[in-house]
Amino acid sequence: MSRHNINRRGFLKLAGVSGIAATAGMTGLPSPLKANAKKEAIKGARFLKYDRGVHSASFCEMCFWNCGVDVYTRDGIIHKLEGNKLNPNNRGHICAKGNAGIQSTYDPDRIQSPLIRTGKRGEGKFKKVSWEEAYSYVFDKLDPLVKKYGPETLATFMHGTGEQYVHMFSAALGTPNITVPAYSQCMGSREMAWALTFGTGVSGHETFDMANSKHMMIFGRNMAGAVQVREAEDFSEGLARGSKLTYIDPRQSESAVNATDWLQLKPGTDMALALGFIHVILRDNLANMDFVRKYCYGYNELLEHAKQYTPKWASEKTGIDAKTIERIAWEFAKDAPNVVAIPPRRMTRYGNDTQTVRTIAILNALMGNWGVPGGVFVRTAVPLDLPHHEHPPAATARRADGVGEGEKYPFAPPSLGRTNGIYEATLTQKPYPIKAWMLYGTNPISHSSVGVNNLYKAMDNLDLIIAIDTQFSDTVMHADVVFPESTYLERDDAPYIAKDKVPFVALRRAAIKPIYDTKGCYDICKGISEKFGLQKWFEHSPHHKIEEFVSILSDEQKETLEKDGTLLFEDVDPYPGASGNHLKFATTTGKVQLYVKDLDELYEKEGDEFSPMPIYKDVIAPKKDEFRMLFGRTPHHSHARTMNNWILLELQDDTPIWMNPKDAKYLGFKNGDMVKLVNTDTGFTSHPEALKVTKRIKDGSVFVHHGFGHQTKAWSRGFDKGTSENDFISDGIDPISGAAAFHNGFVKVVRA
Amino acid sequence: MNNINNKLKKDQNLAMVIVGDRCIGCDACYVACKTDWDVPALKEAYRTKVWEVEGKDQQGNPTIGFLPTLCNHCDNAPCVDVCPTGASFKRDEDGIVLVEPDMCIGCKACMIACPYDARYYNEHEQTVDKCTFCLPRTSVGLDPACVTTCVGESRNFGDVNDPESNVAKLLKEATTISRLKEDEGTLPNVYYVTVNY
Repeated sequence: MSRHNINRRGFLKLAGVSGIAATAGMTGLPSPLKANAKKEAIKGARFLKYDRGVHSASFCEMCFWNCGVDVYTRDGIIHKLEGNKLNPNNRGHICAKGNAGIQSTYDPDRIQSPLIRTGKRGEGKFKKVSWEEAYSYVFDKLDPLVKKYGPETLATFMHGTGEQYVHMFSAALGTPNITVPAYSQCMGSREMAWALTFGTGVSGHETFDMANSKHMMIFGRNMAGAVQVREAEDFSEGLARGSKLTYIDPRQSESAVNATDWLQLKPGTDMALALGFIHVILRDNLANMDFVRKYCYGYNELLEHAKQYTPKWASEKTGIDAKTIERIAWEFAKDAPNVVAIPPRRMTRYGNDTQTVRTIAILNALMGNWGVPGGVFVRTAVPLDLPHHEHPPAATARRADGVGEGEKYPFAPPSLGRTNGIYEATLTQKPYPIKAWMLYGTNPISHSSVGVNNLYKAMDNLDLIIAIDTQFSDTVMHADVVFPESTYLERDDAPYIAKDKVPFVALRRAAIKPIYDTKGCYDICKGISEKFGLQKWFEHSPHHKIEEFVSILSDEQKETLEKDGTLLFEDVDPYPGASGNHLKFATTTGKVQLYVKDLDELYEKEGDEFSPMPIYKDVIAPKKDEFRMLFGRTPHHSHARTMNNWILLELQDDTPIWMNPKDAKYLGFKNGDMVKLVNTDTGFTSHPEALKVTKRIKDGSVFVHHGFGHQTKAWSRGFDKGTSENDFISDGIDPISGAAAFHNGFVKVVRA
Repeated sequence: MNNINNKLKKDQNLAMVIVGDRCIGCDACYVACKTDWDVPALKEAYRTKVWEVEGKDQQGNPTIGFLPTLCNHCDNAPCVDVCPTGASFKRDEDGIVLVEPDMCIGCKACMIACPYDARYYNEHEQTVDKCTFCLPRTSVGLDPACVTTCVGESRNFGDVNDPESNVAKLLKEATTISRLKEDEGTLPNVYYVTVNY
């Protein structure tokens, strides 16, 4: 990473001043200034004043986890963003990306007006049009498609605070093909496994009580590096209070810094390791039997099932020695129930992802850590009678992505859909023609998705691509019509109402007027809807939603919310397990499912992948001279969204290719050599990148940071910086969740 | 702790105390600082920066750590000594080292003299610039920008002379205390500590 190599002394030399400076220093050049008594008198006075500016409350949208933000504006220009001290998402802190929200807002490369494409798709040639022209364009193109193919021919993709309005438009039009990529391209398999076991997901703000934990066992979830502020805070707080950390990852990420044990296992063998731990825990009677007897379903079946997964077996699979597996299983169980086993977050990896997280969920269940400090906390909804608005009836058409009862992925939630399934349906035009896409804040080309080449082919089948975004992503460059969204600092949004450990509400009010000719997603969707006569679903603007929400509050609550930007409802118990209250689990059996009864039928029909208790199978291995393509987050950027933000680019503007010294030696490479990645399936070759030779990555794999390699020429700073992993990852599917599996892609590494 | 920082008679003895293993390397401090003080858009221009330090343990296994750096506001500040104009100076009342832009002639002697590489030349302002311990912010009762935003709560700021301050408590409770390049005799006021909670 570039930040390790910057040498400011080098800069000094380049500037050609060191000689002069040294001379000046040594001889103490006489200066007329030194005698300037007036200047001496005011010396330092400028450092004694600070104009904080005008305050307004908001929540961050540099990523989607919405930390509370206090915005400070001087003379109409936003000067500074600071973390809101009360907001439980961040407790006064914001990350590098959050701090850099200003630079994204004041980026002249932003989309500055509505646009209609004039050149070829992807060429990036657009003409500036009025809002009216842009809305009419959508109607003129989309209405005939809807008439010909039905409303389901439109698929919508959404990510961001405005997504409720895209959802509303989709539902009002009557398409069921609503997708939120956070499911199939990110957390789907994790949430599925958790729901099958505990009856609820981990949730976006993870319900792991790390700050109070005595032992965090983390499977490839980079708490410190893939920064979500609250999780990073809890993680470092837990460590500071003396928690053990077993960090399990083929890569030594930022989270491994203070690990008690870093287990550099073979990629794709997390399930084997977890099964090994479970074997030891059951064999040696280390499970929390009070909890198991009271709340778990299928203990005896698991006891039998786990016998085959001995530490010796797990060691052969994972490369972690059997004694270490035995020791850590004991250490983990010793501190139960104040321990937590944490699954990966973007669990779109090897195609066994749901079952892998199932295994990790079982580890937690055996510790009896539900609703216990240091384990898994329980969320409570905001205790208010919230205003209710009528929604359009759910679309009746069959989904195109295999989600729904009687379909291939019966467990996947229709409210989120399978984005990968929509790509496939668009490519094959089956089960019916998908002819239009509407993308809100999503960027399939740059975000991890089904092989980019296929994506371009799929997009060729589209008669209409509508984009709503703040910036020209690679995908926006392929759009036919572009609606420029105001950034989160320029718009009101509906209140952020959080079911959480401590439920809370946060406000977002525009800190400044839009700099360019942009609107919020609500106004854009309303404008489009009016053309279709669907405006009746858009009676409640974000501003109105704020007012309406505030109106149900007591005077005291109102005052707190207006003054602090956050309203907490603290009279809750996130630890019902520790309080001795009876726990409820919304699973089919009403119990914590060590054995998932819901899978019986599919197991019978389809086999081991659907086993009600996880059955380990080896993942596909690289061939000779091939390397598994791994990727993950950098702390310095959000997804693929911030690579044109100048200040974040200073922190990272490249993607060195990580390779183990063993592999480098075998190939005759040394640290810093320029190399290229070659996709062994498609032959696609990356541009040259520097090799980072390090034991921090497991042999047999290479690693790059996610989100780089943008080909959007509208990005004057972020264009073509680094390599996009998208060109090298696999397009597998987890059979249970239907979410993607990216880590079975293989590359060759050649000298550039 | 008695031998630390009693060389100068100051009303306050301001210091940054960094709990080393709480830094997660997120660089929020870098962005918060550059934004608040309008530090130019240039990789080499910064007042604070976090270095990722890769190493090896005794078994040859890789290790990583993070090292936040900033001006050490040394009690024996070489930058002040070499400044030909008096633009670089140390405040008597609290020990903060500042550069008065109106007096800086841009000779960069201080940049060479500083053993911590804590200074840069601001082309826009035509002056050497560096961390001020956020004196403008602290003078209106705020914490420094980097401390305010620090995700790992690694950074702490305050008056070591005040036994009730967070920094005094941390220095008292610390299991290890170190400062950068102590052998240079600079008497820095940025401490790196480990703490057992």
